[in-house]
Amino acid sequence: MSQELVQAITEMREEDALKITNQMLEAGTDPLEVLEACRNAMEIIGKQFETGDCFIPELILAGEMLKQISEIIKPRLKKEAVQKKFGKVVIGTVEGDIHDIAKNIVAFMLDINGFEVTDLGVDVPPMKFVEATRQTGAKVVALSGFLTLAYDPMKATVEALKAAGLKDVKVMIGGGQIDEQIRQFTGADGWGRDAMAAVKMANQWYR
Amino acid sequence: MSTQSDIPFVPSKEYLAREKRFYDAVALTKPDRVPVASLAAFFVTRYSGLTNAEAMSDYEKTAKAWLSSTKKLNWDMAPPPFTMFPSPVMEKLGLRTFVWPGKHLSENLPYQFVEKEYMLADEYDELLANPSDFVIRKVLPRMAESLEPLGLLPPLHWLSSGYTIIMFLASMVGVPPVKNMLQKLIEVGDEMNKFNAAQAKLIQELASAGYPLITFAFAQAPFDWISDNLRGMRGSMLDIYRQPDKLLAAIDLFTPFAIQSAIGAAKTSGITRIFIPLHRGAGGFMSNEQFEKFYWPSLRTLILELIKEGLLPMPFFEGDYTSRLPYLAELPRGKVLGHFDVVDLVKAKKMIGDIMCFWGNIPAQMLVTGNPSQIKDYVKHLIDIFGDNGGLILDGSVDGIPPESKPENVEAIMEAAVEYGTYS
Repeated sequence: MSQELVQAITEMREEDALKITNQMLEAGTDPLEVLEACRNAMEIIGKQFETGDCFIPELILAGEMLKQISEIIKPRLKKEAVQKKFGKVVIGTVEGDIHDIAKNIVAFMLDINGFEVTDLGVDVPPMKFVEATRQTGAKVVALSGFLTLAYDPMKATVEALKAAGLKDVKVMIGGGQIDEQIRQFTGADGWGRDAMAAVKMANQWYR
Repeated sequence: MSTQSDIPFVPSKEYLAREKRFYDAVALTKPDRVPVASLAAFFVTRYSGLTNAEAMSDYEKTAKAWLSSTKKLNWDMAPPPFTMFPSPVMEKLGLRTFVWPGKHLSENLPYQFVEKEYMLADEYDELLANPSDFVIRKVLPRMAESLEPLGLLPPLHWLSSGYTIIMFLASMVGVPPVKNMLQKLIEVGDEMNKFNAAQAKLIQELASAGYPLITFAFAQAPFDWISDNLRGMRGSMLDIYRQPDKLLAAIDLFTPFAIQSAIGAAKTSGITRIFIPLHRGAGGFMSNEQFEKFYWPSLRTLILELIKEGLLPMPFFEGDYTSRLPYLAELPRGKVLGHFDVVDLVKAKKMIGDIMCFWGNIPAQMLVTGNPSQIKDYVKHLIDIFGDNGGLILDGSVDGIPPESKPENVEAIMEAAVEYGTYS
């Protein structure tokens, strides 16, 4: 049944995925096994996204399926299933920019790939990134920005983190108009074109 | 709004030369020089020292700045001033679909669209059954505070008798919130008249100064209309899986509107170049199969119908369009002007170089943080690739010219066009 669930999720059969989840639970399957199947499915979807075999509709729908399955499982879990997280990331769209679509996708992919994500939302001033990084002890900060206006606040945020003495924190930037030239301009440690690039970078930095 | 006046406009020699240069490039025949034409917005007003907040609120100052920047930049077409949306109008409307400088944002940020599910997932049936009624009574009250009382109106077909005009309509108009709304809307109209008058005057001045206006009308791909404006990215992407037939029906509903509104705006303004900014069809956003089913057919129809009307469709392919080039290659030769953000240049030349004139693509990153010699090298690179058949027009990759661009980088574009792009 686990394999069937993985298949239903990766083939984007939403109704089947929910039906199989319920069947598994009724048959007495450990809820943690269901969660494990979800994790496997998301790993496959992440790889497909990386290779250009699935796209934003699939990521969003997979996220929706995951949310619904978690809701079904929740009452049956003895205690909150604590997935082992192997790193913390603070993420947000920088000051002045209110775009959140790409940021949400990156946060979601980091989360399902085992990171504890603190999402500060949009229009986030540099000092808010500094505070959240201090509070969480995150070693990675991810800055998002859709418009060219984001270049300056990204730079200001990198500088604020340094000025606050958070020198071993690594910063990644991403968004529609980001490239190597902007990475250099902002002083960030890395940049990426899509959500899986962010996951890869975070993995490397936490290794 | 009309750009016509009592005195017929007699184009100057310079005006005609610029227009010819532009259309030669569009038709893939070599002009005298590579044209420069830009969709720049806030860069234009900043170049003349205005803040973004001023550019949206002081129509006279903006018009002056637009004219002076256009002359100074000396591109072959004047950028479109209607992109400086009037913030006093937006304020009076209580518009929720934007945040803007001077109100929600600091004075030098651009306005930004607030994407939301203004139409909910289970409302397709209402939209499809009675689009006008649904938009008036459900969507508009969500989009603007001032329009909330529209939600109090009865279904509009109830008004289809002399009796109900008295009993329903006249009664509703007397209800305090509706009365307030109507009073507020009169103020909105008065304010918009000021904006339109300033724009009409400016367009005439630009033409008299010898600069054709790049565009006046815009159209959206039907999928984008639904995704950007009504359902949001998340909603529309889920609809692809959860209710594809209803999504397709809504796309069909909005396709004739997209075509007709663009034709109408071209007719009233006399400006035949139609800007079509594209959003959700970029490579990486959806698969080619999804593009073929949900995005391309209605966009292709829009483009072909505009061509039939003698108009020039100017789609802006935002994002990376490399994977969509085979679709663009289906379009008729020399009839479309494609503005590109990110694309594999060599592939683009190979696959559509003989189909459509290539426009844009000078990286925003370079314009904002680079230097003039980088820009000149990049322009030379573009001319080397696309120049052989004349099918090239220069502009930045996104936002035309990003507002934060360094002036010397922007000026370097025209310098490079003259230096490397003089064909004869």
